[in-house]
Amino acid sequence: MNTRRFWLAALATAIPLAALAHGPTRQKTVVTVEINAAPEKVWAVIGNFQDMSWHPAVQKTEGKGGNGEGATRVLTLGPGALVAEEINKYDAAKMMYSYKITEVDIKVLPVTNYSSTITVTPMEGGKSSVEWKGAFYRGFPNNDPPPELSDEAAVKAIAGVYQSGLDALKKKVETGS
Amino acid sequence: MRTRATLAWLVTLCAGAAADEAFVTNQLSGDVSVIDLASGRTVATLALGGKPAGIAMTPDGARAYASSPEGKYVSVIDTAARTVVARIAVEGGPLGIAVHPDGAPVYVADWYNARLFVVDPAAGRVTGTIATGLSPSGVAVSPDGRLVLTADRDADQVSVIAAASLERVATIRTGVRPFGVTIDAAGARAYTANVGSDDVSVIDLAARTEIARVKVGKRPYAVALAQGRGFVTDQYSQTVSVFDLATLQPLAAIEVGEYPEGIEASRDGTRVYVANWESNGLSVIDTQTLKVIGTYKTGDGPRAFGSFLRVTP
Repeated sequence: MNTRRFWLAALATAIPLAALAHGPTRQKTVVTVEINAAPEKVWAVIGNFQDMSWHPAVQKTEGKGGNGEGATRVLTLGPGALVAEEINKYDAAKMMYSYKITEVDIKVLPVTNYSSTITVTPMEGGKSSVEWKGAFYRGFPNNDPPPELSDEAAVKAIAGVYQSGLDALKKKVETGS
Repeated sequence: MRTRATLAWLVTLCAGAAADEAFVTNQLSGDVSVIDLASGRTVATLALGGKPAGIAMTPDGARAYASSPEGKYVSVIDTAARTVVARIAVEGGPLGIAVHPDGAPVYVADWYNARLFVVDPAAGRVTGTIATGLSPSGVAVSPDGRLVLTADRDADQVSVIAAASLERVATIRTGVRPFGVTIDAAGARAYTANVGSDDVSVIDLAARTEIARVKVGKRPYAVALAQGRGFVTDQYSQTVSVFDLATLQPLAAIEVGEYPEGIEASRDGTRVYVANWESNGLSVIDTQTLKVIGTYKTGDGPRAFGSFLRVTP
């Protein structure tokens, strides 16, 4: 059994950690990007929950259930760096979906009880706006967290993921690469 | 003539009464929005700090108590004057909060340390401590004032505490990770919203046992009761699930704002108000038509966890 298979098996049998004890204050992060392309074109890239290759940090997407409610995927970010996610809500007509992380090591992402929504909105002149927002608690589930597991560290990490992803998405759609 | 006189009297009475208000805790902006429920306007914003989350209103509407889990204190609000009149230090992570039907004491759950504090608001200090299960979150007091319940989230149970002796007299098994807990007006049943199993536990308080589970939307937060119906905020589904309290059958899933959390019914039962944490709004639901009839603006990250509606004199 190779490392990746081991991790997938471990994830499949792990008790869902998404509802574990958490800090006192849920955090918000929102990053928006304007893309010079039609919403349908943008949606064609990000609308498939089973393919997150548009994000530069994602090396591989593996999952099941397509885009249906309850569909799951495991993102590979690097060796042993996995994020397991599940769809809460998917609405193709509104070009949005929301999902949650069901399993992640706080060394990979310093957050717990994470959920997120990504939405494509039409703008004037045939352009699009993509909004990616997250709701999550810091990695430390008690008062007085160490700095690497603080509210600030959690927001910084997620904002970084969103910004790099949306920058890459914009480039990919606008240049057609 | 008599009818006309009665009408005139009624009109005068209505004109003299102020509209009911909502005191919504905004955790991220660190304040409370006081919202006039007739106009939807925010008539005051009270800075509390400490990431306020929980709120409890006295039955007469004169005082509101808001918990700040990060700041480790409870703010005492004079609701008519719209001012913070005191700050009471509470250890740990004060979150869930409820007030006794007599107006005192105030019960505050410590999210981190499996205990419920008894706070004397007149003395401005903690006067008692009762052990609960892990991560006590929601707190509710029975209408007769005899029982205090805590939803012990990470113990999958409700603790039943006798208000007179301050002793835990029972624990009741629930669904997975109960968060909010609500007792009906008769004091017969309690309902918990179970974050981990996406359902609501129905508890018979006399028998001290769970008698049913009702499936709701994803990640339910809290329960309100009105017109023989249960209304449940589903954080991840962005809906309010409605079920019949007699048959326990589902009736509807109402689309509200994003990340709905605190929920409470108006005293006359015609409206249910919902704080939407992500979209910073207060949804107004008509409990007859089961439609959202308005959305009022709040501060950032409204939680309004507890009783946040004030009936004005």
